Amino acid sequence: MATSQSPMEDAMRGKIADCFAPTSLEIFNDSHLHAHHKAMEGSTSRETHFRVYITSDAFKSKMQPARHRMVYTLLKDELAAEGGIHALQLRTRTTEEEDKAKASGTA
Amino acid sequence: MNTVIPITSEGDFDSQTAALPPSCLAIIYFHAPWAEPCKQMSTILNTLASTYPTTSPPQTTFLSLDAEEVSDVSERYDVTQVPLVVLQKDGQVVEAVTGTDASKVRNAVEKHAGSPSAGAPGKAGLPPAQNVTKPAPSQSLDEPSAPHTNGSGAADLSKYAPSASDPATAPEYSSGEVNGATKEELDSRLKELVKAAPVMLFMKGTPSAPQCGFSRQTVSMLREKGVRYGFFNILADDEVRQGLKEFSDWPTFPQVYVGGELVGGLDILKEEFENDSEFLKDYSVHASKGGPAAPEQQAQPA
Repeated sequence: MATSQSPMEDAMRGKIADCFAPTSLEIFNDSHLHAHHKAMEGSTSRETHFRVYITSDAFKSKMQPARHRMVYTLLKDELAAEGGIHALQLRTRTTEEEDKAKASGTA
Repeated sequence: MNTVIPITSEGDFDSQTAALPPSCLAIIYFHAPWAEPCKQMSTILNTLASTYPTTSPPQTTFLSLDAEEVSDVSERYDVTQVPLVVLQKDGQVVEAVTGTDASKVRNAVEKHAGSPSAGAPGKAGLPPAQNVTKPAPSQSLDEPSAPHTNGSGAADLSKYAPSASDPATAPEYSSGEVNGATKEELDSRLKELVKAAPVMLFMKGTPSAPQCGFSRQTVSMLREKGVRYGFFNILADDEVRQGLKEFSDWPTFPQVYVGGELVGGLDILKEEFENDSEFLKDYSVHASKGGPAAPEQQAQPA
């Protein structure tokens, strides 16, 4: 099997899928938008900034900070690693919220 | 917006207080440079002062005294411990607050002076539009006056620890602060810091010079909604930067706290505003009587 060009993203996808059994999972790699920023000086990784949209009922009855914390805890090692994830934008919705958003056109 | 005026002599104190109208609340802060808790109180008062607009006649006046330097005045008020905040109206002491509880001090000031928006003739300031000007250099710790602020909506609390005025890079160690402050000390310091203003923003850079796109967007969003907030530049204090991540179990910045509780980062803030148009309305300048101030009327530091 050929080695993946996106080990970080693969790891994230795997972990999130296992933990949240999401009905929808989208991962966007925005690293190229920040590569020239001062904070990224000296970094060789192309997988530093991510936008992740997760729809899962594992988030039911949890407030947003709690939901985000669930994801942060899951990806603790990746966030803490040298050259790992530098920034993580999250959208965490339940299936109900996702349907509502789609219906009102703000999905 | 108001700043905290340092008083260096008894004569100075007398002339300042004599000039005040009877309706004005004088907030007299006694401190000592060697007392650690005073650093916290200085920050808290600077923030508080900046949320009160400079009105004519003055509604509030913030005076700070080195208790040992101006000992004659300290004796008059029977100052036995610092930090001590004495509230005085028309020459009469109406309340005294000891300790470093930010909310206690704020409640006392609001009780006697009214909340910042009351009485302001619709000219309450907002954090100014972001432009590329260099922020004013920070004052040394010896001068608790003239806080490093950007309009009365945002107050800089990065003087909370001695910090470099240049926010460009994160220093290896917090400059000046005793290295290896114990975990409890750091925790209690952070506990007060997140409550230092009703809405607190921990960001990379400052509102007028954000050092990160997400921080910049957060500032933008808060400004759009006219929210009053205090800010802290985490790039200027590595101890707070790392400490806060652990304290709140939240690995990223910017971080927004309301009433001392973590609300989240930019994405959560966005969702909250989308889901609830009233979110943070209580902390907005638009809550003042007389309707929202027009952008042209932003009060600028004198």
